[in-house]
Amino acid sequence: MHEKARSEALWKFGGYGFVIAATMFVIVPIYWLLVASTLPQTEILGSAGSLPRLLPGTNFLDNAQALAGRQNANYYQSVINSVLVATVYTVLSLILCSMSGFAFAKYEFRFKEPIFLGILGTLIIPINLLVIPLFLLVSNVGLSNTFAAIILPWAAYPVGIFFMRQTMQSIPDSLLEAARMDGASEFQLYYRVALPTVRSGMAALSVILFLFQWNLFLWPLVVLQQDKFTIPVALTTIVSQQTPAFDQLMVAALIAIVPMLIVFVALQRHFVNGILAGAVKE
Amino acid sequence: MSSIDRRTELYDELRYKRQRLNRLLPSTLNPPFVLLSPMLILFAVFLAFPIFFTLVLSFFVYQGVSAEPLLGINLGLVYITIPQVLDLQFVGLQHFERMLSDSVLHQSLFNTVYLFAVLIPTMVIIPLGLAIALNSALIRFRNTFRSLLLIPTAANTIAYSVVFVAIVAEGGLADSLFVLIGIDPIAWLQNGFWSRNLIAFMSVWRWTGYNMIIFLAGLQTISGSLYEAAEIDGATRLQKFRYITIPQLRPVLLFIIVTSTISIFKKFAEPQILISSGAPLEETRTIVYYIYQVAFQNLELGYGSALTVLLVVIVSVISLMQFRVGD
Repeated sequence: MHEKARSEALWKFGGYGFVIAATMFVIVPIYWLLVASTLPQTEILGSAGSLPRLLPGTNFLDNAQALAGRQNANYYQSVINSVLVATVYTVLSLILCSMSGFAFAKYEFRFKEPIFLGILGTLIIPINLLVIPLFLLVSNVGLSNTFAAIILPWAAYPVGIFFMRQTMQSIPDSLLEAARMDGASEFQLYYRVALPTVRSGMAALSVILFLFQWNLFLWPLVVLQQDKFTIPVALTTIVSQQTPAFDQLMVAALIAIVPMLIVFVALQRHFVNGILAGAVKE
Repeated sequence: MSSIDRRTELYDELRYKRQRLNRLLPSTLNPPFVLLSPMLILFAVFLAFPIFFTLVLSFFVYQGVSAEPLLGINLGLVYITIPQVLDLQFVGLQHFERMLSDSVLHQSLFNTVYLFAVLIPTMVIIPLGLAIALNSALIRFRNTFRSLLLIPTAANTIAYSVVFVAIVAEGGLADSLFVLIGIDPIAWLQNGFWSRNLIAFMSVWRWTGYNMIIFLAGLQTISGSLYEAAEIDGATRLQKFRYITIPQLRPVLLFIIVTSTISIFKKFAEPQILISSGAPLEETRTIVYYIYQVAFQNLELGYGSALTVLLVVIVSVISLMQFRVGD
């Protein structure tokens, strides 16, 4: 019995050690980002051998102002662009994914299975690799350097379609039948019955969609010009030099990361559901 | 002819054209078709067509854009033209032959495979360990730990890469911490080996919590009675792990490995940021980064497409092999 208690304590000790170490590993860069954004350049990079600076300074506003004064890219404009694009994208994609999810879940029609499998099949192709044909397509129809070019190609998002189909399947057929008896049109079934029923699923998906667009990088880098840059692309214009201005860079990174972390904490339940929805592939 | 007559005539013509258009559309204008069509149009134009077009382009050399219209379609009510055509020259398998002797490609492939070899075990073992610890009643504050570990999932790839660059820059946080514990500073961005490992390190930071939460969900589907039965038979912790947890987790393990593989083979953002900050090109260039260089810096869209095809084939073959072994 004594033996067992000792082994139990050992597992507990090891478990805590592992979990705490991993948590530290995750938290330190984030905490350091918060601190570094308030420091002048000279203190972000001390000389090797100095102790790390662990408490915030008072330079945040100066750094933020220096970031605004940059010549070659308007970073704050890119923040507005990113918020705008991600919001429009999320709304559009939610509508498309929920409509097609409802169709796949609640109707029988010809070629249903092949169409659905075709959509799922594209999941294996990393979207980064469609950049070349998309670039030719978009520049040939005159969409290059427009927000439409970074919204439309991913609006029919396969993960979202799949997720909405799964979610819509949970709506009882009797509910739809009852609404039909009451004289609801087929579109009203979708809009007035199905959508309100799957509200939490929609919330989960919208977090995933927003984050997807917020983080999109290679495609906007290829297709956008300076005035339309989104946050990730604008960030690279600050980093591309031998000694980057780390004071400005840290404020810029803070703006790119922290709002998302706040959204994440506020919507964590939906967020986790979204991750798992993408993961459960039965 | 009076103006009223003209108007009637115009209405008649419009009605006729609309009828003709209606006849072109499927006669069963049923609800699922209406619900699906916006998605299907976007899907066909922006996903299916590009996939097909990549394949076509990989056999051609792209020589710019010419002014002749490629296509003019009169749909009755609208006239659609595609104003410019691509000027393409057929070269057969030439691009694929070029790959055999392309040393830059070989180096990029090696770098990607290196990341794959380092990351697959790390991105499975650490998250699995965390999921098991955070699923066990031995640990308190489990929800807090889960939330904290999940934070990087919401972090922008470029932004966190920038933060890591600042951390490992000369005189940055990493140097200070190393000196504190008595290790010589590492020149992360000047040394190819360390730059490459920095990419791996950053990926571990980004994906650990994500994989952990999927493992956790998998663990929670395992019935507790299995463990109770093993308990009665006197199984040790390791035996329970080996003979219950691992077999039961098999589908989840397979999912993690396949998605991690895809994410490693499409890695672009981290190398891009490290290379812009001065890391050596040879050791940090991934295959997607090379495709980007070929297609958009050298404007060799044909060869870039051929490389894309190669990459899709590699990823598909590896995924299929993993499914074979995993099932």
